[in-house]
Amino acid sequence: MKSALRSTPLLMIVPSLLLAMFIIGYPIIDLAWTSLQEVSRFGQLRGFNGWDNFAEVFSDPLFYGSLWRTVIWTVAVVGGTLLLSLPIALILNDEFYGRGLARVIIMLPWAISLTMTAVVWRWGLNGRAGLLNATLMDLHLIAEPVEWLATAPMAFATEILIGILVSIPFTTTIFLGGLSSMPQDAYEASMVDGAKRWDQLRYLTLPLMRPFINIAIVLNVIYVFNSLPIIWVMTEGGPANGTDILVTYLYKLAFRFGQLGKASAISLIMFGVLLVFTIIYVVMVMRAEDDGGAAGEASK
Amino acid sequence: MISKLKKTVIYWLLLAPLVIVILFPFAVMFVTAVRPREELFVYPPRWTFSQFRWDNFVDMWVKTNFGGALLNSLYVSVSATVLALLFSIPAAYALSRYRFPGKGLYRNFLLMTQMMSPIVLVLGLFRLMVAFGLVNNLNSLVITYAAFNMAFTIWMLQSYFNTIPRELEEAAWMDGASHYFSLVKIFLPLAVPAMVVTAIFTFINSWNEFVLALTMIRSNDDFTLPVMIFSQVAGRYQIEWHHVMAATVLATVPVAIVFSWLQRYLIRGMALGAVK
Repeated sequence: MKSALRSTPLLMIVPSLLLAMFIIGYPIIDLAWTSLQEVSRFGQLRGFNGWDNFAEVFSDPLFYGSLWRTVIWTVAVVGGTLLLSLPIALILNDEFYGRGLARVIIMLPWAISLTMTAVVWRWGLNGRAGLLNATLMDLHLIAEPVEWLATAPMAFATEILIGILVSIPFTTTIFLGGLSSMPQDAYEASMVDGAKRWDQLRYLTLPLMRPFINIAIVLNVIYVFNSLPIIWVMTEGGPANGTDILVTYLYKLAFRFGQLGKASAISLIMFGVLLVFTIIYVVMVMRAEDDGGAAGEASK
Repeated sequence: MISKLKKTVIYWLLLAPLVIVILFPFAVMFVTAVRPREELFVYPPRWTFSQFRWDNFVDMWVKTNFGGALLNSLYVSVSATVLALLFSIPAAYALSRYRFPGKGLYRNFLLMTQMMSPIVLVLGLFRLMVAFGLVNNLNSLVITYAAFNMAFTIWMLQSYFNTIPRELEEAAWMDGASHYFSLVKIFLPLAVPAMVVTAIFTFINSWNEFVLALTMIRSNDDFTLPVMIFSQVAGRYQIEWHHVMAATVLATVPVAIVFSWLQRYLIRGMALGAVK
């Protein structure tokens, strides 16, 4: 009886474990296996070729270009998102008329698939008839239409701004979750001590929000680093690979140029990078739990 | 203390630029979707147009096989959600109610899977589906979406399960109820709201997924909505933008409404789970 009870929780987690192993674990092993072999266009493995695929990746200027743009893309989108999301969360956490509506509007980009958002923006930014051009011309900010997506630097900058826009809802949600778990008595105590709102923000809110900010950084880095749809839909990495980041380059190699060996090598490199961030994340969550537990016990 | 009215004005002014940028694509969608085709490319570009052409929606529905893509998206999203919940509910219950060896390890494993994005694995997944003959089969998406959403669903469910008092079940056991009985008759009914919310978010995630659908599905008949709409703009010499926008309106607005209505549960989930 007792041993049956003990195995119950294990039986309950086994199905989820198996599914995850099968769909997420197996492909990683397959990619590692493939990356060490010569692969035909049609995916046939033609025997081991050692580290040739990796050597090819590391001697490819397009790989370095994409890598560099991945860094810019990730840092710019995550940085911009955090800078905007914290004040937004502070505003949305305060009481004011129409707060519910403001929350709904700011969360909206999250509800819509990145693909659709990117398609709509691609049209909105159209160099001839785009409605952004229409708006700016109506406001007399520009005299004639601008080709937003025709040159790589401009297209990339635009894509970064849209990346920020769609990352704000998730980040704001994390911050709102954090703000709603702030200890009210600490604020009351600081009010009694005559603290100004600004001091409260600087010495109370921000330090208490640190774990949430850290987690928002790591999660956003992971999501943004992996984000394909915006760039894929708007410019497909073009013009002339000028907006390619690693994921778009990887996708082209795998499903357009049939360079499967090289593509699996890049996948594996990206997997390694992700793994590092994931471990940082797991450690952070565990530490937050320990702190939370300690704080909880201290307050009892 | 600043008055609430004054705060309202300042806050809305601060939020205004962002609100405009968020609403801009929606305006673009609507204005283009109902615009006569001849007025898509006018110079200088302008917001206004001569008449509302509601027929655009009907034309688009027929020409793009919108109905087929809609059914595919519904099939994939509903099945993936059901599958994800079937796997997640017992796992979340185990995490919430039991101590067992390897619990910490299992949670870390879940966190890891949550971080693995489809794009990094897409080539491996494609090869897996080729091996099982599931390419061009919507079920390949059902399985993968369920797997990739599981970490999220387990975490959401667990954080809600933790708020359901254990005493209720224990009281039932005292009265001689079996574990199975207390689970089905007492625990699960209390957990229904949590399951509904989690299900809807999983549904929306699956509904919006792009990379895997683009990779696994090769024939027009099996396209899900995001891929169908993408196929209307990718590599085409002439893009029928009024049809594309009509399709995005139909594909996004219902989901956006449901999401807006439920987003506060996400915030609550984050606060409850303290971002676990």
